Amino acid sequence: MSGHHISSAKFLWGIAIALFFLTFITVAVTWIEIPEPWNVVVAIAIAIVKALLVLLFFMNLYWDSKFNSLLFVFSIIFFLLLIGITLLDTMYRVDPIPAF
Amino acid sequence: MATSEASNTTYKKIQVRRYKPEENPEKHYLNEEKGLWAWLTTVDHKKIGLMYLGAIALFFLLGGILALVLRTELWTPARNFLDADMYNQVFTLHGAIMIFFFLVPSVPTVLGNFILPLQLGAKDVAFPRLNLASFYIYVIGALFTLTAILTGGVDTGWTFYTPYSATTGGSVMMMTMGIFILGFSSILTGVNFIVTIHKLRSPGLTWAKLPLNLWALYATSIIQILATPVLAITLLLLTMERALGIGIFDPNLGGDPVLYQHFFWFYSHPAVYIMIVPGFGIVSEIISTFSKKIIFGYWAIALSSLAIAFIGFLVWGHHMFTAGQSSLANMVFSFLTFMVGIPTGIKIFNWLATMYKGSIDLKAPMLYIMIFLFLFTIGGFTGIMLGALSVDIHLHDTYYVVAHFHYVMVGGMVMAFLGGIHYWWPKMFGKLYSEVWARIAAAFIFIGFNMTFLPQFIMGSQGMPRRYFNYIEQFQPFHQTSTIGAYIMGVGFLIIAFYLIHSLVKGKQAGSNPWGSRALEWQTASPPPLHNFEHIPVIINGPYDYHKPMSEFQLGVASSHNGHHAEDTVNVPDTAPEKA
Amino acid sequence: MSSTSAIEEKRLDHVQHHFVNSDQQFESAKMGMWVFIVTEVLMFGGLFAAYIAYRAWYPELYLEASTQLNAFWGGVNTFVLIGSSLTVAMAIRSAQLNQIKGLIINLYITIGLALTFMVIKYFEYSDKLAKGIAPGNYYTYDGLEHEKANIFFSIYYMMTGLHGIHVTVGIGLMIWLVVKAKKKVFHSGYYTPVEITGLYWHLVDIIWIFLFPLLYLID
Repeated sequence: MSGHHISSAKFLWGIAIALFFLTFITVAVTWIEIPEPWNVVVAIAIAIVKALLVLLFFMNLYWDSKFNSLLFVFSIIFFLLLIGITLLDTMYRVDPIPAF
Repeated sequence: MATSEASNTTYKKIQVRRYKPEENPEKHYLNEEKGLWAWLTTVDHKKIGLMYLGAIALFFLLGGILALVLRTELWTPARNFLDADMYNQVFTLHGAIMIFFFLVPSVPTVLGNFILPLQLGAKDVAFPRLNLASFYIYVIGALFTLTAILTGGVDTGWTFYTPYSATTGGSVMMMTMGIFILGFSSILTGVNFIVTIHKLRSPGLTWAKLPLNLWALYATSIIQILATPVLAITLLLLTMERALGIGIFDPNLGGDPVLYQHFFWFYSHPAVYIMIVPGFGIVSEIISTFSKKIIFGYWAIALSSLAIAFIGFLVWGHHMFTAGQSSLANMVFSFLTFMVGIPTGIKIFNWLATMYKGSIDLKAPMLYIMIFLFLFTIGGFTGIMLGALSVDIHLHDTYYVVAHFHYVMVGGMVMAFLGGIHYWWPKMFGKLYSEVWARIAAAFIFIGFNMTFLPQFIMGSQGMPRRYFNYIEQFQPFHQTSTIGAYIMGVGFLIIAFYLIHSLVKGKQAGSNPWGSRALEWQTASPPPLHNFEHIPVIINGPYDYHKPMSEFQLGVASSHNGHHAEDTVNVPDTAPEKA
Repeated sequence: MSSTSAIEEKRLDHVQHHFVNSDQQFESAKMGMWVFIVTEVLMFGGLFAAYIAYRAWYPELYLEASTQLNAFWGGVNTFVLIGSSLTVAMAIRSAQLNQIKGLIINLYITIGLALTFMVIKYFEYSDKLAKGIAPGNYYTYDGLEHEKANIFFSIYYMMTGLHGIHVTVGIGLMIWLVVKAKKKVFHSGYYTPVEITGLYWHLVDIIWIFLFPLLYLID
């Protein structure tokens, strides 16, 4: 049966432990004073690494058809377009009257 | 006979023989499963397509009646038989029903469901049970909406703008929930089509030989899966806004109404491409068949569908030029809107080039496509005009916009849908309809349509606002012309319903391929057998290769276990069924 | 691959008539689930977009309101969900190796962890509701200065609420898988529903991986 990658139990545990560790880092990083907006960047970056571990090694994208990875990448691209272009409006408005 | 593919494609040899389609079949998909229960629980994509046809025809009738009610009320500026609140409910319903229950589903669920597996040489879509679920989800969404109509109505316009929609009375929640549920029908259809096109192609059917109809449905499915979820969350948030007052969109509660519009139009603009792109696919099929000529610019047309799908996601703010967006956003959206017209323009030129020096046969399907080319071009142009910021400031929320979108949606999409119905009717039912009556109906529709909507361009540019219950004297002649046109158009549609139903009872038997097309769906019986083909089709040519003999399009795998002699061996690219 | 009997290997009763072979069916189901995952990303994406728009407008609101969220229990829930991703991956592994008992046990553990998540969520919510931190119109807490505090919590309740609904659906799916597994439906040649439920579950985990820092750890 092709295309059915079977990970070893050790490997799966290894990924889980990496994820636990990164979760701990996620919290630990908030104990350090990082100036805005970098604190958000760091938090998102760590979350992205965790998400990638889940995507690649729990959801098996690493061994799967490239098209499935492409699908996920496209969903992120369109999500970024949604927020990026919306922010072009919400962040650049000039208030004709002061906001209440 | 092998096509020249890239050198890294592996080829495999297949033993084939010719399988001529059965004429006048005794058993086919309509009589192989009998009884109401068989229909209601069918997983056969063809029967599901027909059930959708019944449903959307019903909604088109309902939406059409609502349109005539509106137009009749607008005969004079004064109140005729509707008061203002009722008028608002009628146009809200007309819009919501036509868009969500007719236009968005129409081609994919009816013609897509029916034809897609046939054009792939597949026995069904990838997930037949999910397909049936899609239908029932549509029905449930429809029931919610009908309940909303009967229990208080909705008068917000089909766009449900906040804060009015969050605070007004009426059955807004019931209707938004109905559309929310409907969205899942759309999403699941998109999932099914994408996987089917990737995974269930016949041997030899490479992407380069895929009919343009399927490229269009593929692009549409991509839009469906990316855009519809955002509508879902928007409607959910609106419902929560009403139920709990969460305050994201209501300025009274600290929210921002323009944010609602961003979320709403992020779906609703791509939605218009969900509506029209399948129509483009139909146009490609019909123009090639009725010009007996290979399509001009296959890859241009195929990839332009994908380009429209992508760029279509970047332009939603052109519905919001006067809403209070930042000037930066306004400028960006205007520029991108000009871009989105380009791939469509490419298609129009390629279609015309296909017809050039072709052997044109103006049968009913082709007639509708000619009407499409004319009306859709007008609609498309006026869309670009609206995309110009300075012009839109004056034209926004006027009848100019109403005329624009009716030209593209009715003059474009409905004409293409009618073309598709007339094209594939013999395949679906094995019957021919009356050409004479088809032409009469087309004339009524063409004349009626232009009478209805051309005056609206003029009115709009002179300042007549849309969704208005009454108007000033100077617009009355335009409104009255428009109303008369609407009735003429209505007659046209009734004539179509009449002769199509008549054909089912008294129509001449259609052959397997009345139009002489090379496409795969015509290489099986009309109506097709339950599992579409009695063999596994093998594809060696593109679907528009009219210079090749018909026999080359009727090849199928001749395997020893079905006792069929091989007549020939062909070399096809190895599209292994497990790989994408 | 599998070390158990050849009888299970040859079971083809699961292959549907329109598929050529079991692999085509499996790969199609997987692709279908990934397409569905795309739709989930965009749906939650809308909520994240609302979050981002409001955070860009009122950063101080988020800073202040986030103090009401208990980062400790949020962190515990993160560990719980990651653990459940591990156990669901182990469940799939068991199915692939034809270890049906292992499959059932791992599914039970996953369900247990998911229920733990929901219990912690229940206490978080009831704690807030008792204080008057409720969504929308029902917000009555006056311990926060910012006048738009209700918006932060509306977004909080929508995001965690929708996520919680997805967790609940996942629990339901996994119970159904246990029932099917006990009826010996799954084996190393056919475990497709386990695979695609697993994919769904990992997605639920990924969404929480982003929710946790964005809601609980705004410092």
